[in-house]
Amino acid sequence: MAISKDVMRGFLAHLSAGRTLIGPVDTGKVIEYRKASPNEILMDDRVSYKSIKEFYFPQVERMFTFSEGEVQDHDNPAGCAIFGGKPCDLEALRVMKAVFTTGKFADPFFERRFDANLLIGVGCIAKKPGCFCDQVEVDMAFSDFCDIMLEDSGEGYNVEYLSEKGRQALNEYPPTKDVACGNTRKADPPQADALALSPAITEAGFFEAIDWAKSTETCQGCGLCSFICPTCHCFDFRDSSENGTVHRYKCWDSCIYPKFTLHASGHNPRESRAARYRQRLLHKYRYVPDNFGLTACTGCGRCVRGCPVGMDIRQVVKQVMEVQP
Amino acid sequence: MSFEKQRDEVAALCKKLLADGAVSRVVGFREGGVEGMSLPYIFTDPAGVDMLTWNSRCLPNLNGYLTGGEGNTAIVAKPCDARAVVALISEKQLRREDIHIIGLVCDGMVDANGDPLPACVECSVNCPPVYDDLIDDPDVAEKTGGEQVSNDTSLERFEAEIDKCILCFSCRQACYGCYCQTCFMDRGSPGWQPTVPGRGDKMLYHAGRTMHLAGRCVECGACENACASGVDIRYLIREVTNFVGELYDYRAGMDLDARPAMLSYAAGDREVGFLGGDGDGH
Ligand code: SF4
Ligand code: SF4
Ligand code: SF4
Ligand code: SF4
Repeated sequence: MAISKDVMRGFLAHLSAGRTLIGPVDTGKVIEYRKASPNEILMDDRVSYKSIKEFYFPQVERMFTFSEGEVQDHDNPAGCAIFGGKPCDLEALRVMKAVFTTGKFADPFFERRFDANLLIGVGCIAKKPGCFCDQVEVDMAFSDFCDIMLEDSGEGYNVEYLSEKGRQALNEYPPTKDVACGNTRKADPPQADALALSPAITEAGFFEAIDWAKSTETCQGCGLCSFICPTCHCFDFRDSSENGTVHRYKCWDSCIYPKFTLHASGHNPRESRAARYRQRLLHKYRYVPDNFGLTACTGCGRCVRGCPVGMDIRQVVKQVMEVQP
Repeated sequence: MSFEKQRDEVAALCKKLLADGAVSRVVGFREGGVEGMSLPYIFTDPAGVDMLTWNSRCLPNLNGYLTGGEGNTAIVAKPCDARAVVALISEKQLRREDIHIIGLVCDGMVDANGDPLPACVECSVNCPPVYDDLIDDPDVAEKTGGEQVSNDTSLERFEAEIDKCILCFSCRQACYGCYCQTCFMDRGSPGWQPTVPGRGDKMLYHAGRTMHLAGRCVECGACENACASGVDIRYLIREVTNFVGELYDYRAGMDLDARPAMLSYAAGDREVGFLGGDGDGH
């Protein structure tokens, strides 16, 4: 169903009565997702500098508190209504869900936020500088990994729901009551310049494939790319104690930091910056594909735009691809 | 004169330096970044120098790339890059004879929208103070004072900036002056790195870094240019830079023979430099 952007603001106002409303806001310096009123939320085609991941996987999350022999779990987070996740963000959430909830150990912190949040995706109209969703099989205009999907015509939105949660939310607001169920669509066929690494090559083969030190020599090792990346999901546990009460937190970490793999013995298996960059790249393009069948890079271009020295992951992936058989 | 003309001069010079074996690496810029950004690049082959670029989007401070190679290194240096080289030499991190400074007269860099970068607007040094070769541009007017900026040092301002910070340490990595093998923030014992990166911990990082940059900042703006979160914390460092300037008449990176303010002591140094406060004691 096609609706105007004003009707969408009305819907967001309606949602904000019961949930914390999150959306992209222009702060004057950057565009970022934050708690916002329906009127400040951007409904144009611009893209934020970080993704929506912090509403599923916060930079710092308290897991439990330990006091006087008692472990106290923390309350379930109140759900947010998140407006404006781009298709690359939604596909990244698909990756994150796979990582956090597949297999023997599911991460309850991710799970409960995933269950509590309502996610409204918005398709892009045009690629922004540095965007390369099309090279990693992500459809810039649509993703079904959300509760409600809006395709942006510029003037208004074509609205579909993709989950029961989405249907109910739309149903409660009279102007969007008749919205239909969305198709689960396939992305466009892969492009000729698709970025993917051959599963036929061994890990050791990739280690030797290129001169990693040369290809990454200008990387400053700041880790900004992993903080703003929608799929980077590594974390560390940190404890803090005050007055005999211990809190345990789950905090973002990054394979770009030298301490990430530093052993207590002092040995560091990823001694060089090049080895750490290689890990970040292979994790996205090889290890997650191997383990979950998904590419852990959704082409959002944030690292490409954000890197202070202009490191471009596409170029390094291409170099590796060139040496594939 | 123009960027193109300067570029051609720099490229010819770099080719010659590499071909003659005077240097084995040239740290400069090439094209190819998004939104017109130029990319730092280490040239080792004279033929490769064809890729060298020099334009208004050569943002990063190149000093992080000066060490590590065999033989001498040349740097295509904006005035702030050259000041950082001088500062590193003063702090005994580099040897003057190992570095060939190709200094460029610079009219300032711009952001992706073409707006001048804040540090460049404030900059008052558009000719490298020290160089081996100077690539002049007579069209660049000599600067006198740079633009005056707000010196609001309220806690509110600090907190507002802190709240945007995601504590990624990109500003530290971008700074020429942050070359410590292990930053105080990464020390395990005592553990400075916050358990929970909250407001106080972020303040600690920025206050700590500011103090470590006292009298050392070369005003390049690389820290704020690196910040994806739009944090302006450089104003704090500017305060301290000005304070050191007033107290000790010292500005980092301007003079190879000047001893860094924080590395020298004179009996007449003003007390306020040790004890703080607004007293004027001697
Ligand atoms: S690639 Fe860029 S953003 Fe990532 S760690 Fe290196 S310098 Fe920082
Ligand atoms: S000020 Fe910016 S670059 Fe520095 S740590 Fe904070 S977010 Fe990162
Ligand atoms: S503190 Fe910022 S402006 Fe000063 S030298 Fe370091 S990066 Fe440059
Ligand atoms: S903040 Fe201080 S300790 Fe850390 S790298 Fe910079 S100068 Fe060194």
